[in-house]
Amino acid sequence: MHNPMSGSRRGKSHRMGSFNGRPRRKKGNNELTTKEDVPELLQKQAQELLEKGEEIKVAVSTDLRFDSTYGKDWLLATDKRLIAFNQSGVLGHDMREVALTSVEDIEILEMYGNNILKVTTSENAFELARYSKRLTPKFNLAVSELEKLPALKDADSGDGARGRGGPGSGGRRRGRRGPGGNPGMQPGGDKSRCEKCGEPIPTWSGVCVNCVQNSKLIFRLFKYAIPFLYIMIPAFLLMLVIRFVAVLPPILSKELVDNILDPAGTVISAAVDNGGPVPEQLPETSWGHLEGIKNVLSGWFGSMPLGGSFGHLIWLVAFMAGIRVFTMAVSSVRGYMMAWVGQNITRRLQNETYEHLNALSIDFFHERDTGNLMSRITHDVSRLRDFIANGLQDIIGDSLTLINMCIIMFLFSWKLALWTLIPIPCLIFFTIFFGKKMSKVYHVLWKRYANISTILASTIPGVRVVKAFARERYEISRFSEMTYEVFSGEMNAAKLGSLYRPMMQLFTYSGSIIIWLVGGWQLFQGDITLGILVMFQSYIMQFFGPVYTLCQMNERFIRAGTSAERVFEILDTPPSVADKQDAVALANIRGAIEFKDVYFSYDNEKNALNGISFDVQPGEMIGLVGHSGAGKSTLVNLITRFYDPNRGTIVIDGHNSKDIRIKALRQQVGVVLQDPFLFAGTIAENIGYSKPGSSRHEIIAAAKAANAHDFIIKFPDGYDTMVGERGARVSGGERQRISIARAILKNPRILILDEATSSIDTETESKIQEALERLVQGRTVFAIAHRLSTLKYANRLVVLKEGEVDEIGTHEELIAKDGTYANLCQKQTELSKIRAW
Amino acid sequence: MNEPIKVTDELEFLDASKVSIARNAYAELVVQLPDGTTHTKVEPVRSFPVSETVRYIALLDSEGSEIGIVEDVRKLTPQSRDVLMDELQKRYFMPKITKINSLDGQFGVTTWDVETTQGDVEFGIRTRYDIVTLESGRVLIKDADGNRYEIENYNKLDPKSIALLQTQM
Repeated sequence: MHNPMSGSRRGKSHRMGSFNGRPRRKKGNNELTTKEDVPELLQKQAQELLEKGEEIKVAVSTDLRFDSTYGKDWLLATDKRLIAFNQSGVLGHDMREVALTSVEDIEILEMYGNNILKVTTSENAFELARYSKRLTPKFNLAVSELEKLPALKDADSGDGARGRGGPGSGGRRRGRRGPGGNPGMQPGGDKSRCEKCGEPIPTWSGVCVNCVQNSKLIFRLFKYAIPFLYIMIPAFLLMLVIRFVAVLPPILSKELVDNILDPAGTVISAAVDNGGPVPEQLPETSWGHLEGIKNVLSGWFGSMPLGGSFGHLIWLVAFMAGIRVFTMAVSSVRGYMMAWVGQNITRRLQNETYEHLNALSIDFFHERDTGNLMSRITHDVSRLRDFIANGLQDIIGDSLTLINMCIIMFLFSWKLALWTLIPIPCLIFFTIFFGKKMSKVYHVLWKRYANISTILASTIPGVRVVKAFARERYEISRFSEMTYEVFSGEMNAAKLGSLYRPMMQLFTYSGSIIIWLVGGWQLFQGDITLGILVMFQSYIMQFFGPVYTLCQMNERFIRAGTSAERVFEILDTPPSVADKQDAVALANIRGAIEFKDVYFSYDNEKNALNGISFDVQPGEMIGLVGHSGAGKSTLVNLITRFYDPNRGTIVIDGHNSKDIRIKALRQQVGVVLQDPFLFAGTIAENIGYSKPGSSRHEIIAAAKAANAHDFIIKFPDGYDTMVGERGARVSGGERQRISIARAILKNPRILILDEATSSIDTETESKIQEALERLVQGRTVFAIAHRLSTLKYANRLVVLKEGEVDEIGTHEELIAKDGTYANLCQKQTELSKIRAW
Repeated sequence: MNEPIKVTDELEFLDASKVSIARNAYAELVVQLPDGTTHTKVEPVRSFPVSETVRYIALLDSEGSEIGIVEDVRKLTPQSRDVLMDELQKRYFMPKITKINSLDGQFGVTTWDVETTQGDVEFGIRTRYDIVTLESGRVLIKDADGNRYEIENYNKLDPKSIALLQTQM
């Protein structure tokens, strides 16, 4: 294993560090402070050491001790000395002191699951503090505070070896950059903990679920609804109408029963013959409570004699039917309106998100999972649509329905209404209870289904390996275990599901039973009419739906909030490489490129480029040589401005690359990558992708130059062959040649070949080489290759080593120099001899 | 500073007026190039079988290596043109569907009963990915046996055919 003490592991991003398994942390621990309150006992002990006027400048506590138990140790620093308190076992703290003037180096050793702060003096070294990864930011800050102490600075000046000074550069270096180093460059996707609340961020969502401010986000969502308000408001009003009308039919049934079917109350009168007051004119009294509705219908019933007739029956039934037809018609119109609004919102959000996604720089995509981004644009956006278009209206509408029904029931008979509502709290409780259980069960189930997909996605493409090692049985049993998991998960869901519905029906039914019982009794008492009883029965049946929706409301809000956050995170990320306001649109690049002390780091900690400086003449072909990870690809990524250098400049034709308009630059740079990407489409479209509107003549010419023409016309469909995901099989070498053709067609001033011919056999490669040899004339070319023969036409070779220029010169010069390149060359020659033999 | 070479500078087509294409007694194509060399058993290949039927015809010799490209068949001498057109017509058979009578799907295989410019035919399609719709409304179809059909513009078919076709796209 790599020796952690060697120090080369210093400087890993604290954001990358996995957090310690047992976070010992209080709320509010997130505020970084390097001046904590030291326990009195320790303070006293420390004071004894201090001289007059010496005060404690830095005081930080750890969360881990050197005996590998959790606990607080302390590190204090004054202008003159470092004091460490370390406890071992049950004994008190052990005090150690290091004079600052003797300190030569302070470093943080990144270990597995914990870090150690080590101080080296001229004679020996001390490990002063040990802490879990959680405290990495605090100790980074503490170390940079220590660096500022004057005593330490003095000691350093005599030292003279301050390293190269680049951010995170190698060499002997004291401590490390504090967490405030360059916050603008912090890669956003690798956040393991929320910056605001300090809670771990779930990987699937990429945003902190705790900090999602629902109300704020939902307010922001309405921005997307505003353009469609002219449809949404009428739709909302229609919904109100529907909801009001929907409560009418039970009232009508009541009228039907009381005034038409049984106008004299014969049913009751028969029952109450033994003395009870006959409820004459009862409907009239009931109406008194409901002036509004009565007014609507009074014209109707007013003209109707109390004694029912078949004619009236027809009228009333026709009215009931009319209400149903009206509701149906209005809801379908409203449904269509809301669908239109919803789809428009989806489309706008999707287009806006996709547009912004295209504007974002490469680093954004490197840090995020493609599937995650895809689901944000498809899944989350449609969830938002559903929320904006339906969610809120449903909530308002359902509350309204419930309120309406309650009001009506209370007005007709508040006693019976109270009885009726008894099962409702249970209904609410069970809906919420089951809802939570169900969502847990379904979440588990969903994960298990995902596991099945994972197995399939890895073993089906890897079938050659499975078969080669005869592991079919193992894979089958693994799969079978997964299907069993799904089976048991489904059964759990079924258990709940098959219990839930009947339970809910039972509650609804118990309401109905109560109405029969209590209502029937009240009927005998003459408190209510038969019609009211019927009306209550139909209301209780309508109760369940709205209650269910409202119980789900909270969850709906949370989900919508999370989705909104996920979508807005894309929209809110600014591109890290962007045009300056006064950027130059360089129309005709000559191709003179000058690297001036260029530093670059992907993660802001380990440098991929460490001060690269060299000049390239227009039309020169530069071969970039070096081990993998030496920084070759990084260097060309900077030329295309996929990234911008952290320090130093790249000067293209006298302009700082950062001042050149990205679009103008990229229009004149052609790139061929090692693993080229073909879009779904024809070969001709893929070649022509680099130059919109290119003629067939040009496409054939480019394909010929890339030596692709011959294999293309052997396809039955020639240049019209579909390639990509579902298209024809195109081998790696063929793909590379198509992509070379694509780059050549663009006629770029700067051509970048990043392992462009690695998948091509040597014979074909030499053919492409010939074509390229002519084509590279007048262009500045950067070619990266492992196979050194590929670079035989290069004017100069630049050998990179750990992000620095190791050697530079022509092939002959470098061979003569007998350095790294000569060595590499010799190895490859030996290898090729073996191959040839 | 010298300008970069354009790729198109590198590509030369056969001089259409000076190439002669004829058929010999064995029904093979014989091509005589402007420089006088002749090739027998020449195979004409469309570079863009779908999008360009008479332009960019590559001529391959009996070994399969390219002799040259005819930029436009119509620019050849009349005799050569007729021979080449005749040969191409034989090599590339892609009837145009004018009407879809019925579509019958079962287990993902669809049986098409269609009328084409070359007569009525029935064929089966194994996956919907064998039906490619181009932006112009052109539809290219490959059947289970590798035969090809096309619909020039599906918007111009009769409504019933369009309705049937839309179930497949």
